[in-house]
Formats: sequence, C-alpha cells, structure tokens
Amino acid sequence: MSGRDYLGEFEHIVILALLRLDDRAYGVTVRQEIEARTGREVSIGAIYATLGRLEVKGYVKSQFGEPTPERGGRSKRFFHVTTKGLSAVNRTHRAIQSMTKGLDLIGSYS
Amino acid sequence: MMSQASLVQPPRVAEWLVDLFTPGEQAESILGDLLEEFSDVATKSGVAYARRWYWRQSVKTIAHLTGTGFRVAPWSIIGTVLGGYLLLAFGTSWPEQAIVGVLHFRRHHVTPYYANLDAYVFWLNTSILIGRLLISLFIGCIVAAVAKGKEMVAVMTLGLVWAAMAGIGILLLVTSHWPEQAFFLPFLVDQFGSSGMIVTGGVIVRESRSAMSRRPSGA
Repeated sequence: MSGRDYLGEFEHIVILALLRLDDRAYGVTVRQEIEARTGREVSIGAIYATLGRLEVKGYVKSQFGEPTPERGGRSKRFFHVTTKGLSAVNRTHRAIQSMTKGLDLIGSYS
Repeated sequence: MMSQASLVQPPRVAEWLVDLFTPGEQAESILGDLLEEFSDVATKSGVAYARRWYWRQSVKTIAHLTGTGFRVAPWSIIGTVLGGYLLLAFGTSWPEQAIVGVLHFRRHHVTPYYANLDAYVFWLNTSILIGRLLISLFIGCIVAAVAKGKEMVAVMTLGLVWAAMAGIGILLLVTSHWPEQAFFLPFLVDQFGSSGMIVTGGVIVRESRSAMSRRPSGA
C-alpha cells in the first residue's frame, strides 16, 4: 500500500472524532460525536467497519478496557490515532485546502 | 441500585443476529456498545423506542459488516463459494445414487419393489429429498469452516446463488410446461430448502466457534 494514501470522506470524519475524543474514544462515543457534530445518523457497524479498515492501514490502534456491568460484562475497545494516521489526516487536509483555495464555495455553490 | 431501564434487555433475536454476523474479535465490543447505548436510549425515550432503535442499529450494522467482509477479501469468498457450489452441484446427486442403489439391492435380494409401487416411489422421493437437504447442510458447514471469520457472508452468498439458480431453473420449467403439482412441490422444497440448509450449516459452525471462543481457557 502507498504511503501517500488519502483518507476517504467517512474515514476522515472518524479519525477527526478520535482526535476530538482523545482517550475517551470507543464505539459509543465516536458514534455520538459524529451524530452530534454532523447531524448524520450512523450505525455502530459503519464505525467499526471504518475503524477496522483504518487499523489495517496502520492509522489507528485499539486496546480493550475492563469489562463493565452496564455492557453485560463486555469490554470497551478504545481507539487512538497513530503518527501515521495523523500524517494521513494532515495530507488529506492539505489536499482539500489546496483544491478549495480560490473557490467561493458559499457564494457560488450554495 | 440499578435503574429499571438498565434491567431491560434488548431484543434477543437482534442481539443473536449481530453476534452471528460479527467477526469474533469485534463481537464483544459491538454488542457491548449496543447494550450500553440501548440502556441510555431506554432511559431517555422509553423501552419501545429503544427496541426499535436497537433493531435499526442491528440491521444497519449487519449490512455494513457483511459488505465489509466481502470487500476485505472478495477473492477468498468467491473461491469458497465457487468450491461450495461445485460440491453442491455434484453432491446433491449422491443421495439419489446411494438410495437408488440400496433400493435396487433390496429389489433383487429382499423385497420386490413392484409389490407396492406407490410406497416405493414415496420413500424414494422422500429419502432423496432428505438426503439432499442433509448434504446441503454438510456443505454449508464445510464452506463456513473454510471461510473462518466470514462464515455467514460465505454461506449467505452461496445460499443466495443456489436459490437464484433454482429460481432460474423453475422459471424455465414453468415457461416450457406447467409441471405436475405432485412433483413440483417437492422440487421447490428441495431447491429452496437446500439454500436454507446451507445457511443453517453456517450458523452451526459460527455458533460452535463463538461457544469455543467464550469458553474460559485453562480450566
């Protein structure tokens, strides 16, 4: 896989949610953060499918927490962004900024 | 003290389906997340709403995980399904050959079949049907065993392909001549029942693997 890969739209949103949540990032909080900030209803399956893909690419890492009773004795899986993931976010941001530079998005296309 | 909402359980069938379609290493965290949010939603919006929410999340989650399972390893799933299809194509004729062989052996050595022709035809058809369904179940188990981690994606794909081929066959049969009901109904049961048995085989293997992974080690 190329080290110059850009993030897909939803991958980008998920990584930004992980960065915002820092050490509180697991399935429930990531899903709620995305819903609250984008108004987009997403399923927990979509979150895990994307996180799985990002983990395979080396952009995120995960670790299990302690099992809790409110989760039926199941553990939380916490995610955090790796250095490689951070580079991918910056690369994608720069590409978007470069593509939107000089465009009057609000005036011309809204 | 636990609140009433935390004592409410999510729909068991939805929970079972999510567990069935979720790869082993993700099942624990996904089911835990769903239960945690279900309790929150039940507290805020009531149990009936929470149950509908849980079903909606479950269906979307299964769709996503199935799609992802296929996208991650398309060729291994296609290869497994193709192998299963070939096994089915050859395997479904084995019960017929075996049962006809046994009945002919009995005809020559034990009981003359023509003494009771109706019973002979009934037992021949029924035995072949049961044999084919059992073969389909067995092949479903084999396909699921090979497609480790993507058991349900593989057996669902094989079941759908087999049902689609059966549908085409039935369409051709009906358009060429309307078959006699006595033969048509068992044919339908055979063709679509086989798809159901393939998926059942996958469920058996997936559940066995889940049970083994849940078993505490070092007992």
